Amino acid sequence: MKEAEREGSLDPELVHQVWQEARDLIKRLEGSTVSRLAVQAGDYRIEIERSATIVAADGNAATGAGAITSGPAAKPPVEGRMPVVAPLLGTFYRSPQPGAKPFVEEGDVVDQGQPIAIVEAMKIMNQVASEHSGRVAEILVKDGDWVEFQQVLMYLEPVEA
Amino acid sequence: MFQKILIANRGEIGLRIARACRELGIKSVAVYSTPDAESAVVRFADEAVHIGPAATGRSYLHVPSIVGAALKTGADAIHPGYGFLSEDPYFAEICADSGITFIGPRPEVMERVGNKATARHLMQAAGLPLLPGTVDPVRTSDEAQDIADSIGYPVIIKAAAGGGGRGMNVAWRRDELVRTYQTTRATAMAVFKDSAVYIERYLEKARHTEVQVLCDQYGNGIYLGERDCSVQRRHQKLIEEGPSIHLDAAARKAIGEAAVRGALSVGYSSAGTMEFLLDENGQFTFMEMNARIQVEHPVTEMITSVDLIQQQIRIAANEPLAITQADVDIRGHAIECRINAEDPDNNFSPTPGRLDTYAPPGGPWTRVDSHCYPGWTVSPFYDSLIAKLIVWAPDREAAIDRMQRALAEFHISGRGVKTTIPFHQRVLAHPTFRRGEIFTNFLEQGFYQQAAS
Repeated sequence: MKEAEREGSLDPELVHQVWQEARDLIKRLEGSTVSRLAVQAGDYRIEIERSATIVAADGNAATGAGAITSGPAAKPPVEGRMPVVAPLLGTFYRSPQPGAKPFVEEGDVVDQGQPIAIVEAMKIMNQVASEHSGRVAEILVKDGDWVEFQQVLMYLEPVEA
Repeated sequence: MFQKILIANRGEIGLRIARACRELGIKSVAVYSTPDAESAVVRFADEAVHIGPAATGRSYLHVPSIVGAALKTGADAIHPGYGFLSEDPYFAEICADSGITFIGPRPEVMERVGNKATARHLMQAAGLPLLPGTVDPVRTSDEAQDIADSIGYPVIIKAAAGGGGRGMNVAWRRDELVRTYQTTRATAMAVFKDSAVYIERYLEKARHTEVQVLCDQYGNGIYLGERDCSVQRRHQKLIEEGPSIHLDAAARKAIGEAAVRGALSVGYSSAGTMEFLLDENGQFTFMEMNARIQVEHPVTEMITSVDLIQQQIRIAANEPLAITQADVDIRGHAIECRINAEDPDNNFSPTPGRLDTYAPPGGPWTRVDSHCYPGWTVSPFYDSLIAKLIVWAPDREAAIDRMQRALAEFHISGRGVKTTIPFHQRVLAHPTFRRGEIFTNFLEQGFYQQAAS
């Protein structure tokens, strides 16, 4: 489950009530196919996005007891940051070929659809295109590291207008 | 022996293989798709790798991801289970090229027996009896008509590349032949990407009788008795039992030896199943070979005390068979019921959903092979198997009683979830089943509708 948006007033009583209501709703919706719900009271609004499947929202889906954590331990995502995840399992490369300039560096601004990395699986180079436009805030994986499906590769942050 | 085995499967068989690894002191690696992140095998295995999304083409059937996961985790072997990549010679070849042992027969052997028409050809050469029909694909509808006319009706038209009970249709009369031929070809092309079909006589009163074999890489082979899987709907097995009550010791030896001879003649190594049809007069004819472990393997394990998954692993690790034919001692009777998330009152349509209640039965000689637990969601993306319930008893009568007791103890519920438990209860309560007078057409005869009303 993913907390998508939280905004508005910070009246603690109201906040508490809205959360309570949201929690009840979530419980009641368990097993249903509802994927999105919003609870609003005054200026305070909670939007919940439920994934149809059981998977951690931050892309760190390695949940098994003995699960491998090949990447760095997942950090709680920073507000507003957008994860770019591995489209498949394989070896992560930051540049189009060995020795070449990396696709992106931290601080670069990228457009949606722009290639930002390669994930290689059995000699097939799969280009990773950015799902969003934004500034590269953090690259979590080192060149040549092995990544699992949906592992977070880097975070983008919105570029202020 | 292997150090680490990657399990290229999911569900109950994934867990079954991981358990065998644990008992053998081998580390196990589970691979999983997104909806399987909380699955039992992921929790049980020593390591787990997220390989892709729900769609099997990008996860459990995606060879680069599975081989990549094996290479990364340092697995020296891959167990494919059943379904998915278990009978894919191309996958077995890539494993070999990557220095990973595929736990199963050699790719070229798999390719030969995987094509049902080729398998018929090979088994005929090995001297196994076949039903009248073709041993080569039938190319045109005219040819099909001529062949069917000479065999006599009804005939069954089967996709050479078919499996899992799909891609076969019966033509009852001459005027149905061309249409049935064309339909089957079209299905074969759509589902198996190979339009080749072959034709054989269709036996209305036949029993699906299959022999479990184990063959090592040194040319040794043994048979471990047979299973009767005649309770089927649309060619899919629902209840399996062993041994068959329609074979005496001499007949068991004859069909068992034929099965081993056939398997060894193609250079088979691993656990495998030779499927036969047993007619009313006790005559058997070869039908097809399954080059993998089967869903119903526990039936054989219960009556022989041989762990078939462990045997597969040992054979793949180049060990010679430690069991001889003389060691195989079939004791008692075992029955397996497949508990699927399906609605038996609605044409067995799948009923996926979250299991609020999952309380399996226990008690003496009662085995449940399942990956489910309370809160687990039976996914609409994969097959609907919830659990395999297997019981053993000294004789068939007592095994049926025990199965009825265990089925009544099995509690599964969830919103929208229906199971095949009521179906099994009705079959087991039916006098025809008690008497063992079941043929593969049992369900088509409308028994179920009568019993339900």
